[in-house]
Amino acid sequence: MRKRIPNIAGAILLLFLLAFPLIYGRPDYDYIMHIMITGFFYAILAASWSMLTGYAGQFSFGHMGFMAIGAYTTGLLCHYIYLSPEPTGICWERGFFDQYLIVVNPIGVTSTTLTQDCLRQAMEVWDGTVKVTKMPVLLGIILGTLMGALAGFLVGMLVLRLRAAYLALFTLGFSEILKAAISAEIEITRGQAGLELPPLYPEGVTLFGHYFGPTAKLPPYYTMLALLLLCLGILAWLARSKFGLFVRALREDQDAAAALGVNITRYKVLVFTITCSMAAAAGAVQGHYVQIITPNMLFLLQMSLVVAMAVIGGLENFVAAAIGAIFLQVMLELLRNSFVIGGIEVDMTIWRLVFFGILLMVTLRFFRNGLIAPLISHFRRSGIAEETIAKRKIDAGGAGS
Amino acid sequence: MIHLGISNLHKKFGGNHVLKGVNFEVNGPELIGLIGPNGAGKTTLTNILDGAIKPASGTVYLNGERIDQLPPYEVARAGLGRTFQVTRSFRRMTVLENLYVPSLALGNARSRSELREKAMDVLEFLTIEHLRNEFAMALSGGQQKLLELGRLLMLDPDVVILDEPFAGVHPRLMDVIHAYIKRVNEEGKAIIIISHQMDSIFSLSQRLLVLNFGDLIADGPPESVKNDPAVIEAYLGSHGDEVAA
Repeated sequence: MRKRIPNIAGAILLLFLLAFPLIYGRPDYDYIMHIMITGFFYAILAASWSMLTGYAGQFSFGHMGFMAIGAYTTGLLCHYIYLSPEPTGICWERGFFDQYLIVVNPIGVTSTTLTQDCLRQAMEVWDGTVKVTKMPVLLGIILGTLMGALAGFLVGMLVLRLRAAYLALFTLGFSEILKAAISAEIEITRGQAGLELPPLYPEGVTLFGHYFGPTAKLPPYYTMLALLLLCLGILAWLARSKFGLFVRALREDQDAAAALGVNITRYKVLVFTITCSMAAAAGAVQGHYVQIITPNMLFLLQMSLVVAMAVIGGLENFVAAAIGAIFLQVMLELLRNSFVIGGIEVDMTIWRLVFFGILLMVTLRFFRNGLIAPLISHFRRSGIAEETIAKRKIDAGGAGS
Repeated sequence: MIHLGISNLHKKFGGNHVLKGVNFEVNGPELIGLIGPNGAGKTTLTNILDGAIKPASGTVYLNGERIDQLPPYEVARAGLGRTFQVTRSFRRMTVLENLYVPSLALGNARSRSELREKAMDVLEFLTIEHLRNEFAMALSGGQQKLLELGRLLMLDPDVVILDEPFAGVHPRLMDVIHAYIKRVNEEGKAIIIISHQMDSIFSLSQRLLVLNFGDLIADGPPESVKNDPAVIEAYLGSHGDEVAA
């Protein structure tokens, strides 16, 4: 029974998360839903990073880079790719079945150059007679995820011989280079001005008999929660399979694992590919949810936040890492409210980060596998110590008789 | 019929010529002791045999397949397994999980129940079945050595290399290790034992190989090797500064 307590607690938490947007009715509904959606986003990043680092021992500081690859892939595709039944004659275009696949020319960020947009010019000439189709958001997200997987595969191949600090530095360098490239290519990515994305559901969506507009919070809430559950499901399946066993062996001692027949190259590359594709999927969905992406999403502080969430939840348990991420995201937002003690106003917008830092340091010092993972482990492994001791007592009794 | 053929094996680390044209063959289920003073090249030879490092020149064939250029996991799959001088268990994995790794890597269990049954048989033989769900890091040094030997039973290779299997082991566990070696040998496997425990190695081995500064200076039955002047010279030294155990 004790072993099932984590499952029961998980089921209750899941039911709560499913029902929450339907039962919460306060005026700050949109704000609270936004916190939760962002919490789910960080939970996907923390859980996938936990698989990469906690299970496989590949300490990567580039996870936000893969997230950004997902976001920018769908962002750029939605921004530049269109389908038209008529050729523009001035854009780069190719026949695509009975349509034309049009790639719009990059025009940078200044409003005076908007007239240089080739598709805009063509549409002015067409005067509404030709219907141009935008890139479907779902296709953008799928392609963003695949691009993240490809980048993860390539980085995984490049870091095969790197371990510990060298791996962390390599991946940090990768993320910084990506940020610099996105910032520099203003013509294409719009740099620090940010790239606008269409909403997750551009035409809105009908759920439970109600129509929800493109900016409503409920559809993205369930979308991000569904993506989180999908990722956790895949990670759970992987963790229970020989994949999970092999990547943990890789973490413990890759030379010993290889000597026992484990193809360490394959599993190292696979774990990078899978976890990076999850980060990219989260980035793509989050990009369409917030509708603007900037290179600031690659700040080291963002990566540190994901690391801290996973560490506080429990690095070697992806469910604990995900719960830790949601909990910390909610707490960090709710602690924003300043208060007054003895006439002195405590500015919590700053102090909450101090508390967060102290919590991280205490966790690292006293709870190596986080605050939530040991609880799960306590119930899951109940009875094992008694089993060992009982056998020892039998042996001792037998020896004495 | 098991055949391991090592031919003209050379290895250098910088200016240090660690192996100088080592040649020997293993035919069938032989029980071989490999000895030599520190720095003789025993571990380097083992690392070359298991694919961890590549030789400068020379070849290694296992059952007709050339293995000296293969990565370690392919060498393991070809039929050569080893333990390490310093025990390398997967410390934050349970004892059972440690045993599952080689079996699943080779796919030599048809189902989960068969895998568990096989692992439990191994643990019972090694007298640590009560520790099956404990993390490996909770085991004593000797028990971790047994666990490493258990992983080899799950790998089920044709040639087994045991690097210092008796070092730092309690006498009761030593009996278990002796029984293990006899069982594996009776199952038709070739075993190469590297050890500084001369009593054990002389009592167990059918054939002794002696390495000294990268040269194979003796190869034969233990009794003749024991009295070989070159071996005595290597162990005792002309100035008496190396003392055999």
